[in-house]
Amino acid sequence: MKVRLLLIMVFFMGVSIFAQQKTVTGTVTSDSDPLPGVSVTIKGTTTGTETDFDGKYSIQANVGDVLVFSYLGYKTVEMTVAQSNTIDVSLEEGNNVLDEVIIVGFGTQSKRKLTDNVAKINAADISNIPNPSVLNNIAGKATGVQITQTNGKVEAGLNIRVRGQASISAGTQPLYVLDGIPLINNNESSNGSPTNPLLTLSPNEIESIDILKDASSAAIYGSRGANGVVIITTKKGKEGKAKFNINLSNGFSDRANSRDWLNAAQYVELFLEAGARSPFGNLTGFVQGRFDRYSNNTDWRNAAVDTNWEDLALRKGYTRDVDFSMSGGNSKTTYFFSAAYNDTKGIVRGNQLERISARTNVQHKLTDKFTAGMSVNFSRVDIDRIANDNAFVTPLQAIAQAPISPAYDATGEPFTGTVYANFLLQDKHANYNTIIRRVNGRMYGKYEIIDGLTFNSDFGYDLYTQSEDSFTGRLAPFQSTNGQAFASDVATESFNFSNYFNYDVKFGDDHDLNVVAGTEFNKSKRRRTSVTGTQFPTDDFQTINSAAQITAGTGSFTEFAFVSYFGRATYSFKNKYLFKASVRRDGSSRFGKAVQFGTFTAFSGGWILSEEDFLADNETLTFAKLRASYGTVGNAEIGNFASRGLFGGVSYNQRPGIAPTQPENQQLSWESSTQTDIGFEFGLWNRITGELAYYIKDTDDLIFASPLPPTSGAASINRNIGRIRSKGIEFAFQSKNIVSDDFTWNTNFNIGQNDNEVVRLPGGNDVIGGRNILRQGEVANAFYLIEYAGVDPANGNALYNLNNGTGGTTTDPNAAQRIIVGNPFPEWVGGLTNTFNYKDFDFSFTFQGEFGASIYNSAGRFQSANADWFDNQSADQLRRWQNPGDITDVPEARLAGGNGTAHSTRYLEKGDFVRLRNITLGYTLPKDVLDKAGFSNVRIYMSGFNLLTFTGFTGYDPESRSDAGGIGQVFYSAPAAKTISMGVNLSF
Amino acid sequence: MKKIYALILLVAATVFVSCESELNVEPAQSISQDAALATEANILNILIGTYDEAGQAATFGGRTHLIADLLGSTNEIAWTGTFLDPRQFFTKSILVDNGFVAGHWANSYEVINQANLVIDNVAKITSSTANRDKAEGEAKFLRALTYFDLVRLFADPYVAGGANAQLGVPLHLKGILDYGGNLDIARSTVAEVYTQILSDLTDAVAKLPATNEFFADRFSARALQARVYFQQGNYAAARDAANDVITNSGHALTSTYAGAFNNNADSSEDIFAFQVTAQTGTNQMITFYASQANGGRGGDVGVRAGYTALFDTPATDVRATFTYVSPDNGENLTSKYTNQFGNVPVIRFAEMHLIRAESNFRMSTTTGLAPLVEINALRARSGAPALAGPLTLNLLFNERRLELGFEGHLLHDYKRTQRSVGTTAYNAGNLVLPIPQAEMDTNSLMVQNTFYR
Repeated sequence: MKVRLLLIMVFFMGVSIFAQQKTVTGTVTSDSDPLPGVSVTIKGTTTGTETDFDGKYSIQANVGDVLVFSYLGYKTVEMTVAQSNTIDVSLEEGNNVLDEVIIVGFGTQSKRKLTDNVAKINAADISNIPNPSVLNNIAGKATGVQITQTNGKVEAGLNIRVRGQASISAGTQPLYVLDGIPLINNNESSNGSPTNPLLTLSPNEIESIDILKDASSAAIYGSRGANGVVIITTKKGKEGKAKFNINLSNGFSDRANSRDWLNAAQYVELFLEAGARSPFGNLTGFVQGRFDRYSNNTDWRNAAVDTNWEDLALRKGYTRDVDFSMSGGNSKTTYFFSAAYNDTKGIVRGNQLERISARTNVQHKLTDKFTAGMSVNFSRVDIDRIANDNAFVTPLQAIAQAPISPAYDATGEPFTGTVYANFLLQDKHANYNTIIRRVNGRMYGKYEIIDGLTFNSDFGYDLYTQSEDSFTGRLAPFQSTNGQAFASDVATESFNFSNYFNYDVKFGDDHDLNVVAGTEFNKSKRRRTSVTGTQFPTDDFQTINSAAQITAGTGSFTEFAFVSYFGRATYSFKNKYLFKASVRRDGSSRFGKAVQFGTFTAFSGGWILSEEDFLADNETLTFAKLRASYGTVGNAEIGNFASRGLFGGVSYNQRPGIAPTQPENQQLSWESSTQTDIGFEFGLWNRITGELAYYIKDTDDLIFASPLPPTSGAASINRNIGRIRSKGIEFAFQSKNIVSDDFTWNTNFNIGQNDNEVVRLPGGNDVIGGRNILRQGEVANAFYLIEYAGVDPANGNALYNLNNGTGGTTTDPNAAQRIIVGNPFPEWVGGLTNTFNYKDFDFSFTFQGEFGASIYNSAGRFQSANADWFDNQSADQLRRWQNPGDITDVPEARLAGGNGTAHSTRYLEKGDFVRLRNITLGYTLPKDVLDKAGFSNVRIYMSGFNLLTFTGFTGYDPESRSDAGGIGQVFYSAPAAKTISMGVNLSF
Repeated sequence: MKKIYALILLVAATVFVSCESELNVEPAQSISQDAALATEANILNILIGTYDEAGQAATFGGRTHLIADLLGSTNEIAWTGTFLDPRQFFTKSILVDNGFVAGHWANSYEVINQANLVIDNVAKITSSTANRDKAEGEAKFLRALTYFDLVRLFADPYVAGGANAQLGVPLHLKGILDYGGNLDIARSTVAEVYTQILSDLTDAVAKLPATNEFFADRFSARALQARVYFQQGNYAAARDAANDVITNSGHALTSTYAGAFNNNADSSEDIFAFQVTAQTGTNQMITFYASQANGGRGGDVGVRAGYTALFDTPATDVRATFTYVSPDNGENLTSKYTNQFGNVPVIRFAEMHLIRAESNFRMSTTTGLAPLVEINALRARSGAPALAGPLTLNLLFNERRLELGFEGHLLHDYKRTQRSVGTTAYNAGNLVLPIPQAEMDTNSLMVQNTFYR
């Protein structure tokens, strides 16, 4: 064994020397009470342990080592190991926040000395929330970060916008880095509705999430940092006896909101009126004929059938979590094993998710100088999916069905005579299953060459595979080919190899220097195949094997590579003057040869005023720091071959051909974002810590799929088109309002404001895409619509403002000029968390709010169209104009009259909201009971998610957006789920 | 210690020297523009691509027909589907952001650009003159076909004998590869567009072979010529072109009316059709005119009594009863579109008979056949009794409606003969499509049609 070990050592690093160690023991107390769970580590190493229930610890250390004692809510204490084998420590409560370790990419830094803007989320902030998407649970907890799950589907895509919109059509999502590996984050859904690739993450394996927001922090990720960087760190084992944690929870969920639709009697009344008033003559007979069919010839005149279609589309769901972890270690080896299971039945009919995941993190210290470790994670997510929002067969489109239609006919089969195809047929006769299987891992080694100088080598691998299988049976809507099956497989793999030196050195008492320099190589390959078959013997055969005809197939392959060199120097003088400089040079296969490399630099500085004499003894202002940073980061999320003029393969009657797929722009270059950040951090009475920041983020050479005149034969070209600016302020504080033996009350508050402006466009010309516009001096992608002017009281006509300077109105939507009418993104995002502990009870709640966004309901022209066609109408349409003199905002009901149904501000609303994002009440069993039962901790809790929403928005949900395209739009988009769950945490 | 440094440096150096070459990545599903235009094989590939482009849903995959049918109908058919965009055609109140209009316009110009690329690079076809001429003829046929429907739908009607200086559509005649420059282009006049269409067709007729599988051949171009002349009121030229097709193309009426439709391969009657299979192409006529069992949305376009009433002998004329009741919505649907993967006919042999007959009638000639004999022969196929005569323009107009219903002709016949569509005058602005908002927003030289300003 020893020989082999020696060989390994020689192979890696050559021979090194064993140092003499001894066992140091002691007790950690606070106000002379023993303090369990205190972290005890040897400074500059990863060796550590925790105190036991009696506050006792034991650790192997050398004379001269510095032991660091840290515990949440207490000031960290450092003690140097001397001759004595016993070190007892008393911890004082203090400003723990400042001593929090921030993960900054290729290293860490204390919050106290940080000169960047980084938002940190700890495990406690995201655990025990009954929602399968971990990142969604950050909402309201990170300043200036907007997190939105597209809609109430369990697998729904996630949008994270760090400090507003930095890009327009290049990617706007941050880079995700898990333990140093950039994560694959491609939406691979084939049904038009995006899935969230990060669903594979389980909350129980996450230690912390650090969001690098400013250029100075993100510059170390260079061309991939412009949208911010989300660094996810997984849990590691700590020295000490094995610790088991089990969490079990069960919850029930329901739609966060319902809407009022016409009931059968109201529907009949409104549409008979609309038929009689149609511009195409009295269509009463036609309407009655339709009613007969829609109602399956039941007595619609007396509302014999009154179906609530929303209740059929949305249902009660549940969520179940079972997590287990085991961790521990000795002075040489630490380990963390975890496994988690989540089963979520979505609130939308037919939508379900089941996830299993497991992780192993093991680290071993081969010698004093050489540490190596390996992390492996696998995860499997099995999702039953439903169609995208723009498909007739998606459940929520059922709200368009007439309430006089029965859902099922007399034989119990879904009724087929509905206005739109009955989604219950799809629900019964079709299925769509997606399975994501993800494996990622990392092997790393760290060698201390000389004191303070380490060489780190990390090799990471991420494999994201997804299979989709769908079958549409004979009786499903629109099925005419004796069944259709679709199967796809996609595998994306990413290799990441980073090597870097980290040098920590202290010159004298006053100078602290840290230098990081290294290289990183990242290559990602993606391969996808799919096949579609039709003509099945019976619906019992659902796999492609039994398809008599193969009607479509795809096979594609793509890749990209990044080669990067990076460096960073962090220097502090007298622990109060702080400086930092970072540089990264990135080469990417995504850009033309001439512009393949880009260099990104950033500088920052800080001044801890409270270390100065004039504040040293200030009892009120216990901490004060000024900081500023400036730097440039890039955005490389533009697709793999965006600059090239391309032709792709097509076919006509089984003959092969080619056709242009993308116009060429050889000038296409990096989109770069220059950011200035100024911040003031403060601490008051050792109780409150806070931070005020101001930033300006200018994104230049915006990459934009600039619309071309359709007469050119191409729809758009990728161009660097100008500059947008985001600027804003952020304010956050953490306060310990009450700290006493039995009762504590803490408050965390954060709010971020973002002003977005298009500063420059080529030639100053507007760029209009659909219902959004880029115009100099306005917010990016502002809504650009004609303006609804209400109803002419004399005749019930819908009116639109001409906006041609005359102040007049028109009934002709084609004559009205479009104007800028709203911002699709919020200007303010904020969150407020209160945490109370009373004896063995804990209680916390988080409110989240967003203000300033507008939402366009592109289905409004169907849903709230004063009975233009046979779609069921929102209940507010009952206040339609009926008689001359009526004052209302709903025009006269005219079947097929198109009276007010043009896309206009009639369907635009403010999306401001405040939401009770989560609320948790917990009870921890008293220690004496626990001891008898052999547990170290037992906590029973109730947790709620999205329980309350305060908003003026009349649609389903101010957070939901269409998953079928359009910026800031909703289209039959499912509301979020609200969930209440009960659970128990067990530790022993 | 030195060994370690050396080792580390060695590892780092090896890894990174080899890595920079990894940045050279080529796409696997695409080729560069330069390669696409370099060889004969690829120019011919672009030509196939042009057919595919033209056969897409937005245009000849069916919407070209659908738009003309809905705009040209009042009580013959009804749009009873839920889509708003087609309903605007039927109610003749089209909004400038209509998605079908935008799609038709954009797809048409994609076809034109691809046809232009073939024409620009036809010299690279060097294997034989015949191959080169064939490719040029096909590209010009597709370009003419596309411009003809654009100018008919987006411009005020052609006035026979008039100057036709009214705004037509922009004429792009060179393929665009450089999208960096100014792409603004103004509308040519209707006269200029028709001149271009006829010039392309003259070339196509000269260069195309007499047969060319399911691709455009000389008689496809000749038949389109007949249709264009007919629309212009140039009945002599229309008659002669139609006569040429009838006499020389080798095409013939199918033995039954039903035989002319829902074909997987071109029938004897198909002078030109867009090809659809289960794997390629799309048939949007199915989408909107057929039941769900037949692959449609259930029958958004219903055939109404106004159409049946046009028949003088509905009991015996199979064209009157060439319909079925949709199990999905109870509407009466045309049986012309029941094969989900059937071809979309663009020019049928029967149309040539109707053009020749009417042109002869108008010119008081009997080229090929006497008009009444020709009309009666066509009626006989469908079991309609012979008309006693004398023929009138109204009878000829009606016969076109009976034979060519739901095939995208009606609107253009109203305009050609200056008849009102219901109560809407043939030259009313709302019978012309708006220039799509997307074009107005990106092309500073574009002028909107008067009705939509």
